[in-house]
Amino acid sequence: MRRAVADPGARFIDPTALARIGNLELIARTVVDGFVAGLHRSPYLGLSLDFAEYRAYMPGDDVRRVDWRLYARTDRYYVKEYEAETNADFMAVLDVSRSMGYGSGGITKLDYARYLAATLACFSHRQRDRVGLIAFDDEVVERVPASARNYEVVLDAIGRLEAGRRGSLAGPLRRAAESLGRRGIVVVVSDFYEEPESAVAAVRQLRARGGDVIVFHVLDPAEIELPFDRAATFRDLESGEAIPVIPTELRAQYRALVEAHTASLARLFAAEGIDYTLVSTASPLDHVLFGYLAARQKLMRVR
Amino acid sequence: MGLSFLAPAFLLGLAALAVPILVHLTQRQRKDVVEFPSLMFLERIPYRSVRRQRIRHWMLFLIRCLAIVLLAAAFSRPFLDRPDPPLALGATAREVVILVDRSYSMGYGERWADAGAAVRRVVGELGPEDRATLIAFDEAAVEVVPATTDRGRILAALDTLAPGSRTTRYAPALQLAGRILAASQRPRREAVLVSDLQRRGWGAAEGAKLPAGAALVPVVVGAGDDAGNAMVAAVTFRREPDGRAERVTATARVVNGGDSPVRGLAVALELEGREVQSRRVDVEARGAASVVFDPFILAGGGTWGTVRIARDALPADDAHHFTLAPGQAIPVLVLEGPEPGSSLYVRRALSIGEAPGFRVEARPAGWFRTSELDDKAVVVLNDAPFPTGGTGLRLREWIEEGGGLIVALGEASRVTDDAAALLPGRFGPPVDREGAALGRIDYGHPIFEPFALPRSGDLTAARFYRTRPIEPADSARVLARFDDGAPALVEGRYGRGRVLLWASSFDAFWNDLALQPVFLPFVHRLARHAAGHAESRPSYTVGQALDLDGWWEAAGRAQATAPGAVVVRTPSGRRIEVGTGGAEGAAAAESADGEMAGAGGGRVGGAAGAAARLIELLEQGFYEIREGGRGDGAARVVAVNVDLAESDLARLDAEELVAAATAPGATAAGEETAELGPAERERQQRWWWYLLAGALGLLAVEPVLANRLSRAGA
Repeated sequence: MRRAVADPGARFIDPTALARIGNLELIARTVVDGFVAGLHRSPYLGLSLDFAEYRAYMPGDDVRRVDWRLYARTDRYYVKEYEAETNADFMAVLDVSRSMGYGSGGITKLDYARYLAATLACFSHRQRDRVGLIAFDDEVVERVPASARNYEVVLDAIGRLEAGRRGSLAGPLRRAAESLGRRGIVVVVSDFYEEPESAVAAVRQLRARGGDVIVFHVLDPAEIELPFDRAATFRDLESGEAIPVIPTELRAQYRALVEAHTASLARLFAAEGIDYTLVSTASPLDHVLFGYLAARQKLMRVR
Repeated sequence: MGLSFLAPAFLLGLAALAVPILVHLTQRQRKDVVEFPSLMFLERIPYRSVRRQRIRHWMLFLIRCLAIVLLAAAFSRPFLDRPDPPLALGATAREVVILVDRSYSMGYGERWADAGAAVRRVVGELGPEDRATLIAFDEAAVEVVPATTDRGRILAALDTLAPGSRTTRYAPALQLAGRILAASQRPRREAVLVSDLQRRGWGAAEGAKLPAGAALVPVVVGAGDDAGNAMVAAVTFRREPDGRAERVTATARVVNGGDSPVRGLAVALELEGREVQSRRVDVEARGAASVVFDPFILAGGGTWGTVRIARDALPADDAHHFTLAPGQAIPVLVLEGPEPGSSLYVRRALSIGEAPGFRVEARPAGWFRTSELDDKAVVVLNDAPFPTGGTGLRLREWIEEGGGLIVALGEASRVTDDAAALLPGRFGPPVDREGAALGRIDYGHPIFEPFALPRSGDLTAARFYRTRPIEPADSARVLARFDDGAPALVEGRYGRGRVLLWASSFDAFWNDLALQPVFLPFVHRLARHAAGHAESRPSYTVGQALDLDGWWEAAGRAQATAPGAVVVRTPSGRRIEVGTGGAEGAAAAESADGEMAGAGGGRVGGAAGAAARLIELLEQGFYEIREGGRGDGAARVVAVNVDLAESDLARLDAEELVAAATAPGATAAGEETAELGPAERERQQRWWWYLLAGALGLLAVEPVLANRLSRAGA
């Protein structure tokens, strides 16, 4: 029995998804040199054997990093910089507000977010990254500091998460940013029921320490399409407010509003250099991961 | 004239119209609640509440409303309130039909007197505007006094009625009463049934019902009487030849239908009106006993008589009348050929017979004397030559006068050319056969009729080893053939007599028929048919019809042809002349008048164009039938007894009869529809039916339309 509960978060890792992503890694390693390392290649420069660039010497720089050969040729002090192939912090930031508990099909948004976070944590753990977790609704409800030994704790915490109260972004994310230690990868999973500007402002706080922020906007297909036929009273899961709705009458406008909302988010996050992905809970998880990793690789190449 | 409602309270059902209105206005704000993550976007869309308050699907809405309106209208029973036709009568005028049971069980104790008193009481209660009809019934119903307000006429007719000899049947009386009441326009209609309510008279399957609105009032008479009832159930006779006469032993079966035993019940045998013997017998409760009288000699022209027990509460079943026709044993003369013992089988077979018996004499054909024919009915010429000379001539005359001849062909069979014309065919020399059998048999003929049914005797089992071929005459009828088609039995008529020609002998040499079980009944049927024998019944039952011609033929061979005109005298002393042809109609009419008067007696009728003349026997006792237009010829007697089923005095529950013979709520309906006939009332109110049908039609369409609209909306 203990064995069964020893790794409770493991149940969220779809073996099929893992296997297919494993194949994806193999393909990527073959096609693109160093792609596996680039799965989460850090944009942060540091001590490494891999040369990155030269920059002008600035007071305070370690004199041992001055390239004397270049000084001999140019008569200027340049410091040699290398890309750091270091162990990074992977921090999953999950929205567990009540709205995340919604699911029109067999899976809720929170479930989907758990799978996503657990899968990413698993990959990060394989890369010997330090794995941490922050869950929030109106405030931070769960926090596991990033640590190489916390992988099981993180999965366990993910397994225990439940959709609870009303949610907000600014407050809890500010507190999350404060708790972040070293720069690393911060993955935010939320349904972003806030105005795009405030949502982006809230997420932006997570970059305060120079970390790389990846945003997954998780929505149920019913939230995107509004497929309901019958007129009914729609009740807000978080506020409890109810209004009568004739979906057939409102569907087109609703879809346009959702589209505009996601487009704004995508635009604003892009402007902040934050990777934004809109995910439907109907999409297969591995497809989403593949798209994400491909986007990350592209991002790394740009750099 | 205006529209009114029988049940206006149902119009409150129109309030249900609010239901479809509310449904169609508010159906979009139904109880369905969808939990949604956020109303952030939905709240930004302007809310068009006006749509909620507009009725959608007008067609569906109208169908639902119309269905409710029609349902409410149908249940409120609308009708056009036409002014009532002017009536000369008051609202309480009654049409009363008085049904008086005059079956013979009404003669039990004081029942008839009680019935008379009951009818008088009903008549006495008639109002000045009330009208009454008097019907007397037993198995049939007769309107004795048509509808009248003259009470005296009814009472006078009542005095002429008396219990008859027939049994009870309520259905004809109720049907007649129903017709009278249905034709009446009086506001109150009722049938008063005065009867002892015997259960056996009611057959629910006959479906006799009074019209709706008419009431049935049973008046039960003799409810408390239980004096027991003994009856003579049957009399049987054992007839044995005694010289030229017959010795008859009569056995009477006496039944006690009461709940107490009867001790020392006197049972008397009367012959031709005189008591000749008397016995005393004890009969247990609900039991029976047999009384055997000493034999008496029946000679000459037969006799008639009665077995009578001591008079009890129901006299009608205390006597059993009978007639005994003379000469029931058929005299047969067997003339055998030179082969000794060739007639053994046929003699033995005929000597066994009873009802009728056979009186058999046998001698060699050479010893035959013509004087022997005088008292014979049948002559069997078994393997013997046809008598020649004067003897043969006399035999031919005898046959012509009605005698019966059976010729069984054998080695010695021979016939002269003169006598050959007598036979129904020419026969040839003997032919050997290898076990021929009877192939085709005319089972419709009286000789073979009893063998027609399965397991009634297999005539084809016999094997024939030698026969004589027969060439049938043109007028002859082949009754049986061998399996190769050769005639086996041929019948011919000669004058008033019959001649039967059998292609083989009656011994066991030419065939083994005599060894088969069917031999005895076959020979009996041959002899009976040759003798022209017809059954003579000792007695008839009241209600049966007597076929005068058939009866006359059965009564005596000498007068096989019925006389042209007869006079029938009924037990009550009435004379009925039964003529021929057109005279029958007059006789029947006269009889019908007598029946109308309630005296009973006999009805005479004949099928149009048919020769049959029938007398319906309606009285218990002896009918005398005399031949001759003036009725002064010799009298023959027919005994008639009552149907003992009527002696079963078990009663029918009056409520059961009322429930079965009247429509539910008949009385109430009759009072409510005092001014109008029920048919007219129903016609005025029949709108509800159409309204209900319309509502049901709309309700059938509604779900179809609703489903279609729902799918279209989706």
